[in-house]
Amino acid sequence: MSAYLEFRQVTKRFPGVLALDDVSFTVERGTCHALIGENGAGKSTLGKILAGVYTADTGQILIEGRAIAPASPLEARELGVAMVHQELAFCPNLSVAENLCLGDLPRRAGFIDRTTLIARARAMLAAVGADIDPDTLIGTLSTGREQLVQIAAAVGTGAQIIVMDEPTSSLSATETADLFRLIGTLKARGLTLIYVSHRMEELFALCDNITVLRDGRHIATEPISDTQPTRVVTQMIGRELRAHTPAHLDRELGPVRLNVKNFSSCGAFKDINFSIRAGEIVGVAGIVGAGRSELVQAIFGLDSEATGHISVDDRPLLLGSIERALAAGLGLVPEDRKRQGLVLGLNCRENTALAALPLLTRLGFVRRNAERNLATTYTKRLRIKTPSIEALTAGLSGGNQQKIALAKWLARDCDVLLIDEPTRGVDVGAKAEIYQLLDELACEGKAMLVVSSELPELIGICRRIIVLRAGQIAGEVSRAAFSEASLMQLMAGLNAAA
Amino acid sequence: MLARLRVFFRFQESGLLLVILALGLLLTVFAGKVRTPVFERAVDGSRSRVFTTDATGERVPLTVEKNKFLNTQNLAQLAKDTSFIAVMAVGMAVVIIAGGIDLTVGAIYALASVVGALVLHRYGAEGLATTNSPIMGILLGAGACLGVACLCGLFTGGLIVALGVHPFIITLGGMAIFRGIAFVITKGQSVGAFPAAFRDFVRFEVSEGLSFVPLMTMVVVLIVGWIFLSRLAAGRRVYAVGGNELAARFSGIRVERVKLGVYLISGLCAGIAALLSLGYYGAATSGDGQGYELNVIAAAVVGGASLTGGRGSALGVVLGALIIQMISSGIVILGIDQNYSQIIIGSVVIAAVVLDHLNTWLARRRLTTAAN
Repeated sequence: MSAYLEFRQVTKRFPGVLALDDVSFTVERGTCHALIGENGAGKSTLGKILAGVYTADTGQILIEGRAIAPASPLEARELGVAMVHQELAFCPNLSVAENLCLGDLPRRAGFIDRTTLIARARAMLAAVGADIDPDTLIGTLSTGREQLVQIAAAVGTGAQIIVMDEPTSSLSATETADLFRLIGTLKARGLTLIYVSHRMEELFALCDNITVLRDGRHIATEPISDTQPTRVVTQMIGRELRAHTPAHLDRELGPVRLNVKNFSSCGAFKDINFSIRAGEIVGVAGIVGAGRSELVQAIFGLDSEATGHISVDDRPLLLGSIERALAAGLGLVPEDRKRQGLVLGLNCRENTALAALPLLTRLGFVRRNAERNLATTYTKRLRIKTPSIEALTAGLSGGNQQKIALAKWLARDCDVLLIDEPTRGVDVGAKAEIYQLLDELACEGKAMLVVSSELPELIGICRRIIVLRAGQIAGEVSRAAFSEASLMQLMAGLNAAA
Repeated sequence: MLARLRVFFRFQESGLLLVILALGLLLTVFAGKVRTPVFERAVDGSRSRVFTTDATGERVPLTVEKNKFLNTQNLAQLAKDTSFIAVMAVGMAVVIIAGGIDLTVGAIYALASVVGALVLHRYGAEGLATTNSPIMGILLGAGACLGVACLCGLFTGGLIVALGVHPFIITLGGMAIFRGIAFVITKGQSVGAFPAAFRDFVRFEVSEGLSFVPLMTMVVVLIVGWIFLSRLAAGRRVYAVGGNELAARFSGIRVERVKLGVYLISGLCAGIAALLSLGYYGAATSGDGQGYELNVIAAAVVGGASLTGGRGSALGVVLGALIIQMISSGIVILGIDQNYSQIIIGSVVIAAVVLDHLNTWLARRRLTTAAN
């Protein structure tokens, strides 16, 4: 029996990297097929080649034995392949209905036929069980609901194969559960799903088969029932990964560095009280929209509406001013490093020195030697893999970019670090290095507030976890009581007793 | 040798240099010859024609044959014309690197010119405040010219920061406002009759036809601009804001201050160009510098400043200005109908951007092949 979908010796090259190297495997019809690998392993690239976003340099893709080579997403659509993207795939300024029918707007004498448009959109949404008003603007939908619209568009245009690229990376727990149910329904209808992710639990809960890629090479394809997470991790990174307890937990805590009292901002969070001591890592958990990022950004002075008291090293901090926050020794590693963290057009040296510029300046001139030394020091210290400190940050992998976003504040000598999503879009190996680094920094006496959507991450590195729900502190959990279940319950507001 | 060549080609400016050389060669070859009279300089500095007697014994002026493009007078003229545009283009480059655009430069040039002219006229031969020593008047005039230009820059920059409107809109309005003010205060009349010393200073020639002051001003502005952009912390902030405004803000850079600063710099550069023109032409009207903004933006873009921000250099835009100016003067020299000049310059700007894209694409491909 010939396979439904087959990749045959697919190779794809990008500037500086061989993204896919002679990858061959098959996918069976009506299954959910997991594609897993570290960042840069080539899993997204493979999905995008199938969906026509990229074209392969050499090799073939066959559906039911026929070779296909979609040159554009539109061609792929016509061949029955659709992709659900992580990032915005729609026009945010148009309505759900208009976006769904954008390729083929129903017209009557040149005017848009609104009745048909709405009816068609409603049918498409109903097919995936989405309860969304077709008249709402895409821009006002949450990521989860927008994804649902993407799936509706894929199913509605007759897609037989749907590629999902990290679909749960910004979904809340309930949205994720809904998505999983929907995937089950689609499978039952005979659709084939390619599920790109690096969240192990999800894959094991959801998928039938798993393909592991490493450095662009195919490592294994096997039924999920024949493997275990540890085996997959070993396949992904090519070595054993040992879990270890952070060293900072054994150290004595220092004095209080950051103290937040009655901190509120209209519509974002209310009445937040906590403090962090030197050498302590405090986690912030909560579902999307609970006010996590808003809170850290407000502490950093990015919210001019915030009220309350913040003191750093017992000195009160004037709210709403980044300059004051910087002067007090605060640093913020934002959640979206490409948008908020780095200037991708500048090189590693310039990005590392960006926040430290005032310290590196004499009579308005940047001290070039000092700057170079600083960049070299932190490139070594954080084990940033870059051809040179003069290389553009745009060409680095996600993990190394994240390290530069962190280096920027270390170079500025910040003692209180606010870190929002320290490892989003970072591969397993680099993740471990970042955790190690945070541990070292805590041992040196830095105080850190770490926001994350990944509970295992917080459980791994934090001494305490603050749980936010709807902008308020729902509870605080100390390390002894850490468990995903108890944190989840607090996040969702199911049970106050933790 | 090959390695040195490779280093040379790593800089975008080297491509521009090649274009300039090619243009120069082309113009020299196709320009043809022109006969010009020979002058001699008497002891008192006055110039007079040299005469000779021809075969029939008649007295005729002595002439020499020169290449229409490659002769000292034309090159000196080219240098002078380029200076005005290049000085403004350096300011424009700073704005464009910061991710903005400044359409007001031509209008600031006009307003600063007429304000400076009014002050200089007052201290000039026909003015109310004529004095024996012209220094005071010249300094006041220059101060007024530069001061007004800076104020204009602060005005547009301030509005852009305060209102958060796209700079295109604000500077489009500012362009009309500044030129309108220039028209109102001069009632549309030309203002001239400045202290003679000022004109003599700016027009001071080192060799035949080559004015020293505009050229040196351009060189100084270029060097200051280069140091600012590549060596000063303030320049680094300009690149950061243009490259990613949000990340710059998150890094503690005062984005508003940087934005205000770049428009101030652009205004100042327009003022410097205006001051040069006052000295060189000895008069100003509110219609001066009409359409300069387009030439200046063209020079910046041809010189490699990216309109999406974050990329560009001072040397690049000065070379860009030279290219634009060579093309304009080439059109005259080659005897092409003046009406075509707009079309040609427009095409050059588009071609430059296409070439830039091509260059980026090639660089990416080179990286890919290097990985093989």
